[in-house]
Amino acid sequence: MTAVALRQIAKRYDIYQRPIDRLKELMWRNRKSYHREFWALRDIDLEFERGLTTALIGPNGSGKSTMLQIIAGVVQPTLGQMHIAGRVTAILELGAGFQSDYTGRENVILNGMILGIGKDEMLERLDEIADFADIGDFFDQPVKTYSSGMVVRLAFATAITVDPDILLVDEALAVGDVAFQVKCFDKIDALQKAGKTIILVTHSMDAVKSHCHQAVLLNGGKVMAKGKQDKVVPMYLDLMERADAVAAKVFTAPAAV
Amino acid sequence: MEKDKSKVRSSVSPQEPNTHQPRRIIQPQTGWVCLNLPELVEYRELIWLLAWRDVSSRYKQTAVGIAWAVIQPFVLMVVFTVFFGNMAKIPSEGVPYPIFNYAGMLPWQYFFSAMVNSSNSLLANSPLLTKVYFPRLVIPCAATLPPLIDFGISSIILVGMMIYFGIAPGLGLLWIPALVLLAFTTALGAGLWLGALGMLYRDVHHLVPFIAQVLMFASPVVYPSTLVPEKWRALYGLNPAAGIIEGFRWSLLSIHSPQSTAIICSSVAVSLILLLSGIIYFRQVEKDFADLV
Repeated sequence: MTAVALRQIAKRYDIYQRPIDRLKELMWRNRKSYHREFWALRDIDLEFERGLTTALIGPNGSGKSTMLQIIAGVVQPTLGQMHIAGRVTAILELGAGFQSDYTGRENVILNGMILGIGKDEMLERLDEIADFADIGDFFDQPVKTYSSGMVVRLAFATAITVDPDILLVDEALAVGDVAFQVKCFDKIDALQKAGKTIILVTHSMDAVKSHCHQAVLLNGGKVMAKGKQDKVVPMYLDLMERADAVAAKVFTAPAAV
Repeated sequence: MEKDKSKVRSSVSPQEPNTHQPRRIIQPQTGWVCLNLPELVEYRELIWLLAWRDVSSRYKQTAVGIAWAVIQPFVLMVVFTVFFGNMAKIPSEGVPYPIFNYAGMLPWQYFFSAMVNSSNSLLANSPLLTKVYFPRLVIPCAATLPPLIDFGISSIILVGMMIYFGIAPGLGLLWIPALVLLAFTTALGAGLWLGALGMLYRDVHHLVPFIAQVLMFASPVVYPSTLVPEKWRALYGLNPAAGIIEGFRWSLLSIHSPQSTAIICSSVAVSLILLLSGIIYFRQVEKDFADLV
């Protein structure tokens, strides 16, 4: 069964050099264009089977994070359709949507509510989360006083404790120390056994080899390859060797209306 | 609550996906977006949490704390009484100028801070916008609530003044909840427009305090609405804050003139239009918020 299905997904960012250009365009009622476009993702057709762990790999700026943001529902795709079955939790680029002046405890409750979990339910899980994060007395301090490692600890602890069906992790784990990384991968293995779907963005090929079922290689916003990691990882390493094969990040003029 | 728990509990079993978050389909939305207000009700706990957190953090690092809610309108009232009441001798419809002014200042202060608060709320909550999905309407709605606490606290001074000046409110007092609701919807409507526009053009954040200042002089805060020349009254009624203040004075001090009713009615109409169009506009642009932070 499919947990996440992306069909013809594309994401375009309109790049305005200056804010006034947006206003000018409005005046011209879009007959004249003052922006350039950046296609972060194009023609993405992917299916993530339930129970499988997939690594998203690719050079910087290839669209990995954008894809996770789209699956998380934070960013709207410009084109295409996406089907999602189950609760999604995400750790996107450091922090899972923490308010810097809330304490760790308050942020955990806030996050729970955003995921549609009641306050009572969340209060019951607080100890478990504090335990896993293991950040001591900082749990009751504002998140702005945290080190980046502590933020990730709390984010990961929250994300896995709210019982996701689909877990998205964006490079975050690299910030944690070795002990915490081991703990996280143990947890990821446990979630795998429980039949959860996990999508992981990482630059660590060791993690891809030891914890993932398959890998997807992105380059320039397009899927270059999808399959077993022993097939895809060499392609990625090969891509890294040849700088000319890495897709250029260029803005294009908008298509004529 | 019991029911909620059982729903979450049942989802712990490894094979079944969570039942309460069924299959979702996400695709680009075009044209008229459905308002989907029930979703907002679902997230009411989140609204309360954000609002409560705003209240508790607002005066956290201040020395006199919540007293600021009283100090601001009270000092303004004293200043206005000296300059407009005593020096400029602006008429106050038969009641002492201080209470005339304060009864208008209260709803004005609420409207003003609720509007500013909700129009700034999206940027203030940008970490949430870029990291997690939830109905974005929650944020400006939650931001319109906290100033109600200030409003409630500064009302105590008004009660004291009414006792001091020996003014007893009439049955009009029963209209206060409706008038507070009117102030809330107007501030929210304005906040939705300004907040959403502010994401596209940060210029709006420079504009908001300026708009508020102009609006204050276009509202009967320091003067009675009877001073407005006949030919300007239709235009005057378009300012929703005017009707709110007029309504409060009528309800608390039984002050009203022939044009009060017209001003209040047009205020209700403008407020509703502002709120509805604000929600529609907000819904249309909210999908881009994460890209604009």
